[in-house]
Amino acid sequence: MTPWGVGSYEGPGGREPWEISHEEIQRDMGTASKTLAELGVGPGQRVLFCSMLSEAGQFWPLIVGAMLSGAQLSCADATEGEAVRVAMFTRLIEYRAVLGVTPAILDGLDALGHPYADVFAGIEVIGARPGAYERLRAAGLSPRRFVLCGPAVAIADAPDAPALVSASEWEIAGDGDRVVVTGRRERATTFERTHTAVRGDVVGNGVVWRT
Amino acid sequence: MNLPPVDSVFYDTEYETMPRDEITQLQEELLLEMIPHAYEHSALVHETWENAGVHPRDIRSIDDFVERAPFIDKNALRRFRDERGDPYGGTNTVPPDELTAIMSTSGTTGDPTLVPEKWGGGGPRRPAIITRDFWGMGVRPGDHVALVLFTFRGPTYGLFQGLGTIPILFDFDPDEMQRFCELSLRYRPTGLYNFGSVLINAVREVCDARGYDPRDVFSSYKGVVFAGEPLSPRARRLAEEWGVELYEHCGVGDVTASFECGEHDGLHIWEDTAFVEEIELADAGDGGDRKELVATALVNRTAPLIRYRSDDIVRVSRDICACGRTHMRMWPIGRKGDEVVVQGKTILPIDVWTAVESVDACAMGLFQVIRTGREVDRLRLRVGYAGKANEASVRDDVGAAVLVETGVEPEIELVPNAALLKLGPPHKIPRVAKS
Repeated sequence: MTPWGVGSYEGPGGREPWEISHEEIQRDMGTASKTLAELGVGPGQRVLFCSMLSEAGQFWPLIVGAMLSGAQLSCADATEGEAVRVAMFTRLIEYRAVLGVTPAILDGLDALGHPYADVFAGIEVIGARPGAYERLRAAGLSPRRFVLCGPAVAIADAPDAPALVSASEWEIAGDGDRVVVTGRRERATTFERTHTAVRGDVVGNGVVWRT
Repeated sequence: MNLPPVDSVFYDTEYETMPRDEITQLQEELLLEMIPHAYEHSALVHETWENAGVHPRDIRSIDDFVERAPFIDKNALRRFRDERGDPYGGTNTVPPDELTAIMSTSGTTGDPTLVPEKWGGGGPRRPAIITRDFWGMGVRPGDHVALVLFTFRGPTYGLFQGLGTIPILFDFDPDEMQRFCELSLRYRPTGLYNFGSVLINAVREVCDARGYDPRDVFSSYKGVVFAGEPLSPRARRLAEEWGVELYEHCGVGDVTASFECGEHDGLHIWEDTAFVEEIELADAGDGGDRKELVATALVNRTAPLIRYRSDDIVRVSRDICACGRTHMRMWPIGRKGDEVVVQGKTILPIDVWTAVESVDACAMGLFQVIRTGREVDRLRLRVGYAGKANEASVRDDVGAAVLVETGVEPEIELVPNAALLKLGPPHKIPRVAKS
């Protein structure tokens, strides 16, 4: 396999290095395109990704998937300091989806005095990570669960629904209260019931985290 | 463009060593293509030129351009954006539905501004920024490179993959430095993009705590690029003690970028990507060789900035570099908007840096100059400190050090380092704040 890069994923003990091949990235791009289409992100639509560079292994397929589907994309770091950028983007541009919202971004919006309902007004798909999902719901919004189950991206297809991983690429299961992940196809790094940082319940290929 | 032989000194010998007269000829050709395009499609350029009574047909040479073309600056862009409701500030030249991405500037000088992008259609004709620079450092296909970056500029790692290298991806965050040390020892990368003073200090702390030898951590690196702001004297000293070859990197007026070469005598600007001028500082009298940098895009046809005043104070040279490259070099000095005048003394952030970081609790060098105007009665500093230091003692020590360094007694507000780090933009903190 041809090396693409070394990304990372969150395990129970912290961030783990993740060697990634071009071959798996290519497959993940196809999967991401389908996922985005199911979220209504297609030609003429816009999507804002909130992520960190260490998460590029998970987000690059989504970024290319958005491009391939004819959508337009924007990027911001998923940090407190980047709340000003997120607020700027949503003020100036109409987005169909904002994916990867973190508690840190919401902390930043709080510090800026920007109500969540204003910043995310009119955005159909708000993909919020653990901790942010609950705060946005409490603010009266209808976010969808978004979580990185180790190397696998999980996005809910509806508000209240579990966050789903690609069933063709990943199998997830519970081990105690931990979500474990297994790669179904060949990857540069082997994932075999690999423990992730996510605690929660697994339903099919979906996860409902516990905070 | 195919990769050159691995023993080639330059990535693109033809362009990197192009004689001056050929660079000028190429720039004139590109400029004369760009001006009518920008005038016709960029609302900001069109309005600015109309107001100045200048038309593209008036510009038939670089000399005409320098003599007649009006300037644009970031405030004009923000004003256009706010008054016209145009999110791109009048810079976008392609139909909005043809854009691939909408990125943004760092926000160093205020709120970030949008950068419309059309991937695969609006970029340089030949690989330039990063590609030529990292090749020049000795980075080669198959090497690992450590990328310590933010995401707001988009997926920069694609440029490194285009060079045939394998990126290792890190956040620009002091908390990532343990992982950085571990993976540097495991993968032995040859290039690093990019570092700063805060991260160098964080590496030192990790090495002290974990027993790593920083010389070993950096032993495989042929070049370590730092950017965003000048490296503090303390951080530079540490890096040099560790045997790190540092390369400075700097933006060029939101139009292109510049990197040092192995001679470390100025930052090369690839002049086939931008036409760069230097103009007298308006309010500085005889500024000597200190000028304001002005840049014009030559290859970005999606959002071309034309005669864009950067606010950056630089010194430049078009003499051939000892490395053999013929493209101009610049030496960044500071930003016009960062300068404060206190009791008749001009002070830039770099002037207080050494003093702040000389106090152990403030070794990270995190501080802001509070600038309520260019001329102020008192030098007010917000200074970050670590640990459980005695605040009164730290305040006294920093105050005394700044007084020695600048001749001005400062007023100091101490805050925890974390409070400054979270201010962003992610690769640096704003060194100047209004309050």
